[in-house]
Amino acid sequence: MNFLDSPLSKPAPYVVAPIEHRFDPYEDNGGTSVAIAGEDFCVVASDTRQSNGYMINSRYAPKAYKMSSTAVLSCNGFHADGVTLKKVLEQRMKMYKYSHDKDMSVTALAQMLSNTLYQRRFFPYYAFCLLGGVDADGKGAVYCYDSVGSFERENYRTSGSASALIQPFLDNQVGRKNQQNASTAPLTLEAVLRITKDAFTSATERDIHTGDNLQIFVITRDGVEEQNFPLKKD
Amino acid sequence: MSIMEYNGGSVVAMVGKGCVAIASDKRLGQQFMTVSTNFQKIFPASEKTYIGLPGLATDVLTLSERFRFNINMYKMEEERDIEPKTVAHMISSTLYQRRFGPYFVEPVVAGLSKDNTPFICAMDLIGCINFAKDFVVSGTASQNLYGMCESLWEPDLEPEDLFETISQALLNAQDRDALSGWGAVVHIITPDKVITRSLKSRQD
Repeated sequence: MNFLDSPLSKPAPYVVAPIEHRFDPYEDNGGTSVAIAGEDFCVVASDTRQSNGYMINSRYAPKAYKMSSTAVLSCNGFHADGVTLKKVLEQRMKMYKYSHDKDMSVTALAQMLSNTLYQRRFFPYYAFCLLGGVDADGKGAVYCYDSVGSFERENYRTSGSASALIQPFLDNQVGRKNQQNASTAPLTLEAVLRITKDAFTSATERDIHTGDNLQIFVITRDGVEEQNFPLKKD
Repeated sequence: MSIMEYNGGSVVAMVGKGCVAIASDKRLGQQFMTVSTNFQKIFPASEKTYIGLPGLATDVLTLSERFRFNINMYKMEEERDIEPKTVAHMISSTLYQRRFGPYFVEPVVAGLSKDNTPFICAMDLIGCINFAKDFVVSGTASQNLYGMCESLWEPDLEPEDLFETISQALLNAQDRDALSGWGAVVHIITPDKVITRSLKSRQD
């Protein structure tokens, strides 16, 4: 065989292989939140750990925000989207105040949050929100959302990385599920705070994305009070 | 579709003061369709030892029969009851023999040894044993069970208090899991007797 006819002398024509260009706009920063409505108060609590996979970005990166004197918002999921969502909501709350010359009620804020999330239906905020506060009648209110704005008013809810661990505990201790002859009297603030702390200390034992510190907001008719409580840092 | 979650079901075991408890739900499903509401997942290994087998139902049936055979052979050859620790290692090696084509079960063993010390353990599907001092969980509601057990369990519970604790842990955990539920069964193993109770629960 002639050398010029051999495959070595005639290499295959060079082709440009396709290069993958992918846009990854989301991350999961872990963390857990709990919101419990009382008769005339509401408690919203979140851990302050911010993680990415096995890495801890921060031991104190709060994800619960005071929105007004009667409402607190907590955002689990992607921290940057939570911060942006909070910023957009604050802008729209200002617009409301200039138009109507009054502060937004939690009920109004709840509907606005849903609309804000749904506006991004096809490129959602990766934020799973809990909104807690006291409504216009002075009653405790908890609203929980998915990432595209579907929401419901409830008495108690947890969301985030340890939600599967905490939700059945809240069903039992706040909803008094599976308890015969249990008292149906409304829970006191002390009892709600105790249950909240117990839920987080237990979840911290088994969920690696939850821990460091617990930030607790107590919302009453008189305003918002913040407390901090240490959690395990391992 | 996860094979471990094809039929659904959960098991939990806890240690008390001189006693142990093991409990499971009763559901058997095919994905989200419930097929049976009285499916046994806990099997007696001896007078004071029980095996919980949540996972793929066909493997639950196969393994429960195989363990019964092995335990009967042991009893005849050794002329004594098998220890819970021995049961655990028998299960573990049976599962590891199928290292690269496993049985899809995550067993739980609970019992009292011959000097009545409590023993519980859980395994993954290839037989890696977790010897716990407090509680073990397994099955489709395992995350929910971790949350419940971590908050309700405390050391040195008397048999009746242990019964209430394990029952509340299982019922509330399975009510938040679509693949577990439809009733529950609880065994409390004490040195002189085993108390078995069937629990009513939400039927959804």
